[in-house]
Amino acid sequence: MSAKVDAIGTGPGAWFAHIGTAFAGMQRAYAADLRQHRIRTVVLTVIVVVGILFPLIDEYFLEGFSRNVFPLPFPDATVMTFMMIFGIMAVGLNIVVGFAGLLDLGYVAFYAIGAYVAAFLSSPHWAGLGLNLVFLGNVGPTAQGIHLPFWIIVPIAIIVVATFGALLGAPTLRLRGDYLAIVTLGFGEIVPLVFKNLSSLTLQFAIGPISVNLQNVNLTGGVQGINPIDPPFLPILNILFDSRSGPLAVYLGIFLLAITVLIARNLEHSRIGRAWMAIREDETAAEMMGVNTVRTKLLAFALGASAAGIAGAFQAAYLGATTSDFFEFSTSILVLIMVILGGIGNIWGVIVGAITLVYVNATLLPYLGQRVQDSAPFLPNPAQYNFLLYGIILLVMMRFRPQGFLPNRQRVAELVVVAPEQAEAEMVEVAMEAESEMDAPPELPVAIELDNVSLAPPGQDATGPDARAPEVPGEARDE
Amino acid sequence: MDQLIQTLIIGLADGLIFALVALGYTLVYGIIELINFAHGDVFMVGSLIAFALIAPTAVGGLGVFQITAETPVPLMVVQVLATLAITIAVTAGLNMAIERLAYRPLRHAPKLAPLIAAIGMSFVLQNVGVIMAGSNQRTIENIFPSTNLLSSVGITAVSVTMAQVFVGLVTLPLLIGLSWFVASTRQGKAMRATAQDPDTAGLMGVDVNRTIAITFIIGGALAGAAGVVQILYNNVTVWNLGFRFGLISFTAAVLGGIGNMRGAVLGAIILGVVSAISDRYISANWTQAIVFGVLIAILVFRPSGLLGQQLADRA
Repeated sequence: MSAKVDAIGTGPGAWFAHIGTAFAGMQRAYAADLRQHRIRTVVLTVIVVVGILFPLIDEYFLEGFSRNVFPLPFPDATVMTFMMIFGIMAVGLNIVVGFAGLLDLGYVAFYAIGAYVAAFLSSPHWAGLGLNLVFLGNVGPTAQGIHLPFWIIVPIAIIVVATFGALLGAPTLRLRGDYLAIVTLGFGEIVPLVFKNLSSLTLQFAIGPISVNLQNVNLTGGVQGINPIDPPFLPILNILFDSRSGPLAVYLGIFLLAITVLIARNLEHSRIGRAWMAIREDETAAEMMGVNTVRTKLLAFALGASAAGIAGAFQAAYLGATTSDFFEFSTSILVLIMVILGGIGNIWGVIVGAITLVYVNATLLPYLGQRVQDSAPFLPNPAQYNFLLYGIILLVMMRFRPQGFLPNRQRVAELVVVAPEQAEAEMVEVAMEAESEMDAPPELPVAIELDNVSLAPPGQDATGPDARAPEVPGEARDE
Repeated sequence: MDQLIQTLIIGLADGLIFALVALGYTLVYGIIELINFAHGDVFMVGSLIAFALIAPTAVGGLGVFQITAETPVPLMVVQVLATLAITIAVTAGLNMAIERLAYRPLRHAPKLAPLIAAIGMSFVLQNVGVIMAGSNQRTIENIFPSTNLLSSVGITAVSVTMAQVFVGLVTLPLLIGLSWFVASTRQGKAMRATAQDPDTAGLMGVDVNRTIAITFIIGGALAGAAGVVQILYNNVTVWNLGFRFGLISFTAAVLGGIGNMRGAVLGAIILGVVSAISDRYISANWTQAIVFGVLIAILVFRPSGLLGQQLADRA
């Protein structure tokens, strides 16, 4: 493998050559898969192709036909865009929870920060403070406030959110398990509150030459939030990706999700990914083996959070508005359910979890609710009790399938309860396998030997009776 | 100065209610190391049951007791005690059932599994709350006279109302009773033994399952009592009350040192006072952020809490 890379060489010209080999490798891998697992590969190919074409089919074919096919109605473009947004977040949370094993119950905080970064940098919000800056925006040059293009905001959002992720991670490094969950939960509650409350800030101080005098500054828009936010805009093709652009926004979502998946997948199989798994399995052992736990955990928080930054910026730009009410504890839990439901630790699993849950939440339950209301108005509306359903899902999943629907093989071993006898039997099995594979002396007799030592008759210890120095009997007796 | 003392009195009353809920968190964490997310919601169910018993049918209650400010005092005492007894019985049973159905099967699972099950149970209970009383706030009439009890001894600048005395009258006997139970009874000894080491306690003849069930019953009973006190004191309840109230109470338990009962009460009173001061001198909008800020600061600088022992591995 490395020899091939060396053959292409380095430098900008070689970068494109690398991309070429990547694509060639993809073809070869696909051909090999087709030979070895024909049915699986064909089914997966069909799913991927239909999935990618679905937004178009949905818009131009099913729209005129009917979306509400009993019992599974089709989602519309907005719902599909949100599937992608939540997919991005699920992949990000999976880095923190699935790879590194750090339970984060305040993930919504990063989503909120991402959304507010987009709101601050591409809306007329700052016009009140006299801050005007238009750069490559699709608004007129005379527009009020700060307007940066979406493509610049996303990297900024990633950096800002990753910084906040590291800031949250830094003080929690000493904490493990439950306490970490509670600190992240607290952070997830504080951040939206800050956005909600900083609507009339009065700040007056003077340190040396710097004097600040702010009177009732509306920093975050308060309860109303910030709007309008510029939608993502592709200059040459003149495309706006807002809530009226239908399948186009879904494709932008797919694009952003694909990038997130690419990064997450490469991280998983990199040195840092293996370090995450090591601290997940046993932090102390990982540290002993030379894993820098501080750096590893901080990177997990920062990189996991940055996905929520992408999702938040995209959501704010797509909807054109943001308020602190979008960002509640229940959103954190919703993303966590996606990760658990899909298969904790498995990128494809959590995406399936995200798509399924957004579908159930935004299309299926409202549809069923409507049907129930139409035919039997005295029955409770299922859409109103969605969190009852999620609660039951969590309880049932934890009881019967804690590893999720598409589990990560390593995580299965950790999450499934193994009865002690069964575990013992498995260990013996493993030992026997090892025995048959290796020609080294079997391990079992060693244990028996050790037993024999401890069961040796009194007076005959390991060194034997002759080892006692007969010259100094007094000393020997004193022992 | 008078204002500060007044704020402290309000904070003390709030803190005592937090203490009842915080004890449930600390007992359960002490014994099975689980953050029982559903505990705040058990408290909420308790307050809804009390609402149903007390409120007249016109505002959505069952009107079993219909306590109002005009009810003669002896009858009111009997009715309040009956409300307490019924609510405590229901929430204690509910908490025991939760443990039996949701947590016991996961006793030997990795720690993440019961924690997530607890979150799931919390959602289920919140929806039970919506089914019981709808999604709007429910209010009852204030049954206590608003006169200042201190005015009879000549103090008018600071007031202590009957409602605040009532909070103390219900919570303090419960706290003392619990302390006696854990310190001096056979079952209390079994609880302490199980908290220290469930396996060894089992080998010494302690029925671990029964002990854990009793711990949940006690936690549920305290939460139910807190629910009754909270609706009679604040006169309002709603289905999502448990989440925030529970978080504050959990913070109190952590502040005092989780697993430590005296610590939980101390932490709850401190947090009650901190929130009251924040409400009065900063802004009610920021109180929640301040409480969570306190939580994060404690966990970062002193994870063992004020009175807790060093729990490096648990933290």
